[in-house]
Amino acid sequence: MHETTRRSGVWKFVTYAFILLMAVVTIVPLYWVLVASTLPEEVFLSSTSLPLFPGDAFFENFRALQARESVNFIRSIGNSVLIASVYTLLSVLLCSMAGFAFAKYEFRFKEPIFYTILATLVLPIQLLVIPLFLLMSQLGLMNSYWAIILPWAANPVGIFLMRQNMKSVPDTLLESARMDGATEFQVFYKVVLPTLKSALAALATILFLFQWNLFLFPLVVLESDKYTIPVAINQLVGAQRVYYDQIMVAAGLSIIPIFLLFLFLQQYFVKGIIGGSIKE
Amino acid sequence: MSQRHEPNLSDRIRYRRKQLREVLPSSDRGVPYLFLSPFFVLFSVFLAFPIFYTLYLSFFRFEGVSNSTILWIETAIFDYRLVGISDLTFVGLDNYLRLLSDSLFHQAMYNTVFILLVQVPIMVGLALALALALNASFVRFRGVFRTIIALPVSANLVAYATVFLVLFQETGLINYALGLVGIGPIPWLQDAFWSRFTIVSAVTWRWTGYNMIILLAGLQNVPKHLYEAAEIDGATRFEKFRYVTLPQLRPVLLFVVVTSTIGTFKLFAEPVTISQGGAPLESTITIVQYIYQTAFIDFRLGYASALTYVLIAIVSTLSLIQIRLGGTSDA
Repeated sequence: MHETTRRSGVWKFVTYAFILLMAVVTIVPLYWVLVASTLPEEVFLSSTSLPLFPGDAFFENFRALQARESVNFIRSIGNSVLIASVYTLLSVLLCSMAGFAFAKYEFRFKEPIFYTILATLVLPIQLLVIPLFLLMSQLGLMNSYWAIILPWAANPVGIFLMRQNMKSVPDTLLESARMDGATEFQVFYKVVLPTLKSALAALATILFLFQWNLFLFPLVVLESDKYTIPVAINQLVGAQRVYYDQIMVAAGLSIIPIFLLFLFLQQYFVKGIIGGSIKE
Repeated sequence: MSQRHEPNLSDRIRYRRKQLREVLPSSDRGVPYLFLSPFFVLFSVFLAFPIFYTLYLSFFRFEGVSNSTILWIETAIFDYRLVGISDLTFVGLDNYLRLLSDSLFHQAMYNTVFILLVQVPIMVGLALALALALNASFVRFRGVFRTIIALPVSANLVAYATVFLVLFQETGLINYALGLVGIGPIPWLQDAFWSRFTIVSAVTWRWTGYNMIILLAGLQNVPKHLYEAAEIDGATRFEKFRYVTLPQLRPVLLFVVVTSTIGTFKLFAEPVTISQGGAPLESTITIVQYIYQTAFIDFRLGYASALTYVLIAIVSTLSLIQIRLGGTSDA
């Protein structure tokens, strides 16, 4: 008996050590971005010191970043927020409407249509850059916000997630609203949507992060005034001389707000991933 | 499957529904299509059509006017507007045959497969270990740890890659820390092998927590009575893992492996950011990076379409094989 307790004590110790180690490894780069953005480049890139505490060079670094002619970083944050927000609203609306149709109605070709949409989940759809590029130029949408909002608004993950969640809404609820004289659209937005708040929040989080991270296609279709954050930061790295202090400010500014949002929404995010990936 | 299953519906409701059907004007039969059509229009135009259009383009020589390794993409786009569809020349399977002797394509393929074979097992292993550890009932502050470890998934792709670029500088934090334990500066970004290692560690840092969350959810769905039964049979910790956890977790593990594989083949932001700041491009180039370069810097859109299709074929085949090997019909 004594032997077992000791062995399980060792086991607990190993488990904790592992979790702590991983948590530290995760945190270090994040903490370090914050510290580095407040230090002059020669300090955080020096091989003779270990910068652990913030300095006072943040505003200096920030001013240098703002003085860049090729990239307006603050504008790019605005672009990203605007694009990701409009995209998220549009996509949540489209996906939940379509999910509603698949969950609560019968119609011809329902199954084949749904499985066709699902099949595109396996394809790396971000790769359709070339035809989308040609399409955007034909539609005259080059260098417009719509060029990166429209292509993934019909999101297969979103429709799957919404359909799964809509199925759990009892039909009796819908019927009684109909008996009270609600139109089908009223049933949708007055009865169904309000019962799915957490699923909608989950989907919104996933879609927002997805758009926030898009890099390849924005890089191809946008010009400097419309740059999103990833493209703007990439311009800083691609330049002849790399100004690491400015890069750290830019990276810090783009990471921190989304972390706060993530901390706030993470319980939905977790549910969203789980709901979209595993169930049924 | 096609018939709806409604065991809970009371007779009263069923009767009302029949009434309703008689009352509803026939035009309301189109209601589901009204809800579906906005999604379906965008899906057809921006997803379904491009999938086939890429295949079509891959049989043509289709090159932009700008010969352009020097030109910035902005200039290239303006020039592109002058190019019409009439510039297509049908070349049959030429683009695909050319791939066979394209050494840069082979290099890109090698790099991608290398990253896949090293990164995916390490990451899935770590994610599984973390999920098991955070599923243990004696661990406190599980929610806090889970949030911390999942945090990187929200970091902007390019921003985090840039941070890794700076961390792995010759005079960066990593080499400084290694210097403390007497390991001399490693050329993380200058050497082909080490820059692949840098990319692998960056990708692992970002996605391990995400996969952990999915696995954790899978673990929580394993029925408790299976463990109780195993304990009664005197199973050791390892036996419980081997004979209960692993089989129960198989569909979820499969999902994680498939999505991670697809993710590796889509790698772009990390190699672009990290290689541009260091090692010669060819030694770390990934397939998507090569497609980007072929299409939007060299402006060989037909050839790039063929590359895209080869990649789509590889990814779909791999996913299907993995799903088949996973052996569960419900995955």
